[in-house]
Amino acid sequence: MRFFRGFAIGLLAAAAALTPMAAFAADGQTMIITGEDYTKWLWGTQRTDGSLYNFTTVPGEGYGDNGQGTEINFLVASRPSKYIEVTARIQSRFSQNQWTNFGGFGGINPATTEPPPSSCTGGDCGEFDPRSNEYIKMRGLTARFTPGYKWVDSVTIGSTDLGMFDPFTIGKIRYIDRDNAKAVLFQGSVADRKLGYDLIRVSLPRLWAGPNFTTGDYTAADGAYGLQLKLAPAQMFDLVGIVERVRDIEVDSRDQDFDDGRDVRTRFENDVYGLKLGIHPSSMFDIRAAAYFSDAKSEAIAGAPANFFSISGFSPVPAGELDDESYKGNVDINDPFGIGLSFNVEYFNIGAQYVSMLAARREADVLLTEGRDGAFAFPGPDNSAFGVFPGNATRIGFGGWQGPAQQVATINVDNEFTDFDEPLAETVIGWKGITLAPTWTLGNLDLSGEYTKVDYNTNWQAWGDASLPVSSTIYPNMDSDAGFRSFRNAYAPFQDRETDIFVLRAKYLLDVGKGVDVFGKVKWIDETDDRMTDASFLPYQAGDCPGGGAGCANNQRFYSAGNSTSSIYNNPPVITGANGVVGYQWKPFDSLSDDDRDMSYQLIQLGAGYQLSDNLYSSLTFEVYDVDLQDGNTAFQAYQLHSMASGDHEKNKAILFARYTLGGAEFGFNYEYNWGTFDPDFGSGFVPTAATSQIAQDFGVPVGSLGFAGRFGGWNSLEERDFRQQRLKAFMKVRF
Amino acid sequence: MRTTFWKTGALAVAAGLLLASAATAQKVSFKDPTGDDNGPGTYTYPTDAVYKRGSFDLTGFDVESKGGKTTFDVTLNSPLDDPWGMKVGFATQMIFIFIDTGAGGFTDTVPGLNVKFDEANAWDKLVILSPQPLGRVKDEVSSKAAADRQGAILIPSRTKGAGRTISGTVDLEGDPSQWGYQVVVQSNEGFPADNDLLTRKVNEYEGQHRFGGGTDTDCDPHAIDILAGSGTGDASEVQAQHDMLKYECNPDGSAKTGAVLKMVRKS
Repeated sequence: MRFFRGFAIGLLAAAAALTPMAAFAADGQTMIITGEDYTKWLWGTQRTDGSLYNFTTVPGEGYGDNGQGTEINFLVASRPSKYIEVTARIQSRFSQNQWTNFGGFGGINPATTEPPPSSCTGGDCGEFDPRSNEYIKMRGLTARFTPGYKWVDSVTIGSTDLGMFDPFTIGKIRYIDRDNAKAVLFQGSVADRKLGYDLIRVSLPRLWAGPNFTTGDYTAADGAYGLQLKLAPAQMFDLVGIVERVRDIEVDSRDQDFDDGRDVRTRFENDVYGLKLGIHPSSMFDIRAAAYFSDAKSEAIAGAPANFFSISGFSPVPAGELDDESYKGNVDINDPFGIGLSFNVEYFNIGAQYVSMLAARREADVLLTEGRDGAFAFPGPDNSAFGVFPGNATRIGFGGWQGPAQQVATINVDNEFTDFDEPLAETVIGWKGITLAPTWTLGNLDLSGEYTKVDYNTNWQAWGDASLPVSSTIYPNMDSDAGFRSFRNAYAPFQDRETDIFVLRAKYLLDVGKGVDVFGKVKWIDETDDRMTDASFLPYQAGDCPGGGAGCANNQRFYSAGNSTSSIYNNPPVITGANGVVGYQWKPFDSLSDDDRDMSYQLIQLGAGYQLSDNLYSSLTFEVYDVDLQDGNTAFQAYQLHSMASGDHEKNKAILFARYTLGGAEFGFNYEYNWGTFDPDFGSGFVPTAATSQIAQDFGVPVGSLGFAGRFGGWNSLEERDFRQQRLKAFMKVRF
Repeated sequence: MRTTFWKTGALAVAAGLLLASAATAQKVSFKDPTGDDNGPGTYTYPTDAVYKRGSFDLTGFDVESKGGKTTFDVTLNSPLDDPWGMKVGFATQMIFIFIDTGAGGFTDTVPGLNVKFDEANAWDKLVILSPQPLGRVKDEVSSKAAADRQGAILIPSRTKGAGRTISGTVDLEGDPSQWGYQVVVQSNEGFPADNDLLTRKVNEYEGQHRFGGGTDTDCDPHAIDILAGSGTGDASEVQAQHDMLKYECNPDGSAKTGAVLKMVRKS
């Protein structure tokens, strides 16, 4: 702690030493103000209008696929003297500022309404909610000093997106929040610029940068400290070392002597060390390697969880004391045969307990593989469509997000406030494997592909420690590991998973007219997860549920002293089904194969684009997804926490894209039509029942249709279902 | 018999296409040394991680003319990527290809580069390879480039990045082996200053999105790498580049002597 106090004092002293430079302010300085009008239209057949973003999981925030909104962005830049540059950004944000608010007058006043609304969405709170009253906010203010000292090139005080560091340690803040991080940053070099450094103190974001997505009660002094040293002694060789320290502190309530100030204690600490090496022997070969070590420690104070209930934990970091490593190595071989054929090879190994609280949450792609696609990620995007609890109508895989995912080295993934045309980010915590990615250019034809084999450091039984209760874990199992898996879930109680990804892509410029871009892709993902692999973890004794209408005896099986998985995989009751058949409400978990997951995923994409005029480019893309997912049948009940359930999924996606530019204006248009079929396959061993009128109302299924109820009261329809979804995003950006 | 017929026919067609292609295509290639992506010798990359090592380091330049169209391939010393979602296979680079196709031409260039050519190396055509949409580049040219040379600026309908190579094809006839070339590697700036044609500035100290090692005024050339010497990739071409990009500023920040470029030729 003493080190950090000294460090902070040093930063302040250095900043103070720079202040006399203001005396050199030049006469006739100019302030440049530019602006941008960003207007967005959303339209979709989900008919939601909570906000002008398609997706969020943040409680109390709205989402929607309909609405029109405008935001203004002022960019201010000035140079008071040759030593100082000031930039600022003042912006209103869409959020719930729909055009239909008509300026934001009126609305529900949460302060005077009884009972107060649980949240304001869709502009309901009008001018009483900053998210819907078109307020203007300071987004960023940065002063950059270039004093001309030998030891420092620049000192930046204020807003920064942290883009100068590294996605495994201190990653770039996502685009729309790029000015939210505030820091003091020193950058410079020594040894004839062969050794550069970046030294930073970042105020820790209280919104998400700590256990349970908070930094506790006492937040103002929380910070992250980073030092990056970049050594480039020769053209063929470079080395980067990074140290990061995150400290989330609280006032120590045990200190009752207020006369000497208050003591503090650490709620969360996180140290990360990174080393990156580059060897560049020629333009044909390029070799890069990176190694990271992290340790993290959470104290169960001020809301930091000590552990999580096994299948419903939410936090950006596991609980307790953790340490782990991550490694990455890349070899690029550029056109070794002189025929335009190049190869990229990447080895990756991301530790299960690797934690960097400020790692890039979205604005990075740390692996070479294109990973999974966004098309089946989350149910919709729609966070209410789990179908687990009454009131959430089950929905089957709508469009998700377009394109493949980008990978981030954290479970603190940020896909909040995104639209369907943006890339999905997914966690790679626990991933280890190799990617081989060749590219081949033959005139107008570009071919590329990849083969990726992924094994997982999170392949374990009973969270990796069979001495502990399975219902209590340090690992947050966000959104569960079911269905197509959540983009932010790295952990499951039982996992034995491996993934193979094959991709072939082609682009060809057809010499017709101005040239037609023809492109296509074929992708296969083969993924298996045996989950529980040791019968000693089965929840009940053999023969516990004899069938034939007899109830289960509930004789627990203990995998270690006092510990049984029956705490989360309890037995079903005996019910009378739709045709008078008596049996179990869901299949008892009495076989290791009951929780197996097997996914065969295929994507075929074909499209064409054309420059219709100098200002207008348009493309049409057609995608066919065919996914056969056998997911835990009924024993594990994996499907209950995700809408992409066990069965056969066929999805078709047609995308019409257009881009138009005119002077300083840019218009974008993205229309998507999704249609397909889901044929559920939940296996056997249970008794289907007919949906009552209440079930029909709660879950949006026909009265009398067959299904079965799960452990949490959710409803799983057994009927084949067709779906159709249309959605549109159009935007206008005008720079002025 | 039938199989033999088809095999023979296919081979004949393939051979014919190959010969026809070889007969009509005219191609020239140049190389540039690695590690000279430092302009006049002092320039440094911006500090943001998207500006990857070697991504502005010109290593190869190929020109192929066929059927009234000419294709330009510019190869860099780093695999291309698209961190800004430009959707054309690259994002951070911006390439200016000056071509001397004959007598006369322009010695001034375009706003943002701060370089000139001498009379003997005046350019007649300029090809811009940008990841920005075609309409945006044309708008920038029409609003910022001098009116008398706008007709000489060619922008491919399609510019693409694949592997390490940025390519574009324009309507341009002639024998490329008889032309002179200069390639200026710059960076794509989506929010350029009024006097910059989608180019990124070079400052005294590198910033997150600005090159360093130059000056805070516009007396320095905003060129990170160029062709030099004979375009063979010989190590001596590094010094030739530095000599061409040498500059001197007046105390008020205006140019005292600016960078003067020469064409590189095969013949």
